[in-house]
Amino acid sequence: MKDESLNETSNRLPSPFRRRAFLTGAGALAAAGWTAGGPGSWFLPAAWGQSKNPIKMGIATDITGAIAPSGNSDWQAAQLAAEQINAAGGIAGRSIQLFLEDTASDPKIAVANVRKLIQRDKVDVVCGGITSAMRQAIKDPIVNRGKTLYLYPQLYEGQECTKHLFNTGPTPAQQVDELIPYLIKTLGKKRFAMPSANYVWPQLLNKYARKVIEANGGEVVFEEYYPLDQAEYSATINKIRDGKVDCVFNTIIPPGLQPFMKQLYESGFPKNGGVQACVYFDENSLNYVPARELEGIYSCLDYFHTVDDPFSKELLAAYAKRFPGTKYQFTAGSAATGMYRGIRLYEAAARVTKGDTAREAVSAALDRAKIDRGPGGGAEMVPGKMHAKMNMYIAQCKKIDGDRLRWDIISKYNMVDPKEC
Amino acid sequence: MFTELIRFLFDILAFTSVMVLIVLGLGVIASMMGIFNFAHGELVLLGAYTVFIVHDAGYNIWVGIMCAPVVVGLFGVILERSIIRRFYTLPVVAMLGTYAIGLIIRETIRGLLGGHYRSVPEPLSGSWSAFSLEFSIWRTLIIVSTALVIVGSWLFLTKTSFGLQIRASLENPRLARASGISTDSLYTFTFAFGAALAGLAGALVVPLYQLSADMGLRFLVQGFLSIMLGGIGTFEGPVLGAAAVGALAAGLPWAVLPVLADPLVFVTALVIVKLRPQGFIGGSR
Repeated sequence: MKDESLNETSNRLPSPFRRRAFLTGAGALAAAGWTAGGPGSWFLPAAWGQSKNPIKMGIATDITGAIAPSGNSDWQAAQLAAEQINAAGGIAGRSIQLFLEDTASDPKIAVANVRKLIQRDKVDVVCGGITSAMRQAIKDPIVNRGKTLYLYPQLYEGQECTKHLFNTGPTPAQQVDELIPYLIKTLGKKRFAMPSANYVWPQLLNKYARKVIEANGGEVVFEEYYPLDQAEYSATINKIRDGKVDCVFNTIIPPGLQPFMKQLYESGFPKNGGVQACVYFDENSLNYVPARELEGIYSCLDYFHTVDDPFSKELLAAYAKRFPGTKYQFTAGSAATGMYRGIRLYEAAARVTKGDTAREAVSAALDRAKIDRGPGGGAEMVPGKMHAKMNMYIAQCKKIDGDRLRWDIISKYNMVDPKEC
Repeated sequence: MFTELIRFLFDILAFTSVMVLIVLGLGVIASMMGIFNFAHGELVLLGAYTVFIVHDAGYNIWVGIMCAPVVVGLFGVILERSIIRRFYTLPVVAMLGTYAIGLIIRETIRGLLGGHYRSVPEPLSGSWSAFSLEFSIWRTLIIVSTALVIVGSWLFLTKTSFGLQIRASLENPRLARASGISTDSLYTFTFAFGAALAGLAGALVVPLYQLSADMGLRFLVQGFLSIMLGGIGTFEGPVLGAAAVGALAAGLPWAVLPVLADPLVFVTALVIVKLRPQGFIGGSR
């Protein structure tokens, strides 16, 4: 979802130097909570007694670099899923063995590391990648040259219809089809502004959202793109004020996000009845946006901590128990829910093939795989469409006792169609 | 129309102040010592991080803002004594060396923050109104403090005998030493002064932005552009340069597409540098 230009700084050093520096400091770094997995590959052995002929699952995610917080959440979600499956006896007698490779928020490094999963570890499936730039970079080494199955977990801009590449996060249709009619019809907001970071996710999401806005009788006052690290938004705020905008559909991402949020708040936009929606905001957002600026914002995702579903609650408790005090939360915006869902869908498919992990066989089963329980509820691949139907939730951010926030679920939409491919 | 203009001017002035505040320390070190400090952005970051830590530990944010220039200034002393002083005769090595220092600070803080973006609240939030317009208190405070810091630094460097000694040891170190001035400790002091200014800038500015490891990087490039534009060797040059770059960066998005504004700032600045290579003030000393 996020763009590779976020990672500019991590590209500066040639990788051998970085790796050496990294290795020497690794002990201290791990102590300071720098990394979950450490450099190079990491390996989660299968449980005792099940290690015969395990299913090898590669996790390629951003353990270091600019979007390391999301990557670490994904890795933890993957461990939880694999451990739960193994504890329940594995898949047709085979346990899951995880192999971690750090994609380092840097597609150039990622391609080499992902090849290790394919060539050295000979994994049966690769799960991971967060940004669209990352997915584009690693899908060829995995799917085409590597002849391996690939599961991509993040909410994203859609239009990824590669064979053997299954998307388990929400698409624009899932995030926008219910949210925008709600903003227009229920809240009565008609004049939209679309301030956005300048890269592929906002561009394609906006293209889709604009259609939905116009089809529902709303109007887009302006759609504008900014450099990712823009620090000054007075011109934008002025357009919002002059254009009598009453709904801001925000797709700006950090580091440009905070100055925008602050200036919008200070302009009195929320105080004067303006509404803001941002579809990647989740429980993590409070880490980078102050509570008063988040209050009242709407989001639409496949899972919130407040989702009232027994399994979702159980899952959240299991995650908290497995990773006590972790700073990497189990949230939808970080792709952790997509990761968990993906692994469970793979499990369902591998059960159908009776533990056969040949790509064609699993792929065919995965194409119609279904799970009854998952984060936010069950999920179901749409046959031939490479995307999953899942429950979507519109939620609003509410301030509770001081500076804590809670996402209050406003409405639930069952098994929303991804409308892709 | 009148209120529109006031608002426009306030917004431009607020961002220009941020720019000037950040460039000031960079300018002092470049002009007075001939060192292009590529770690300047990270000194700003260090100031911001100090505020974050102090606030996180449960103290008042004001305490953090007071601590930041002191902490970063002391850090500057250590840096000058241990590393920077070896670079005075090697300006190119100095650039690489300070870049390396910046990289170490940046990546260390990235680790300490766990790669997260963090927010630091402003100690005075809210707004005041005039002409039926509302102005952010914190932005106003930044404008005022920038003006005070500029005047204070200028008086200090040009009107006190201490400032005179600094300038003397820069223009002619040998003669200064012969006249009994300890150039060594003056260099240390000047660098620490520049670093402290960076720390203060970081502390004041961080509530407006997010604290992240890359916070200083964005301002570094624009900072050097400001110095190029203003000219090296004077106190006023970099300040004027920063004002010009800040006003362009904040003003252009009102007229052109925001994605074009950034490159246009650079193009405009480069054209000016081409026409006036010595900068606005440079060469007049």
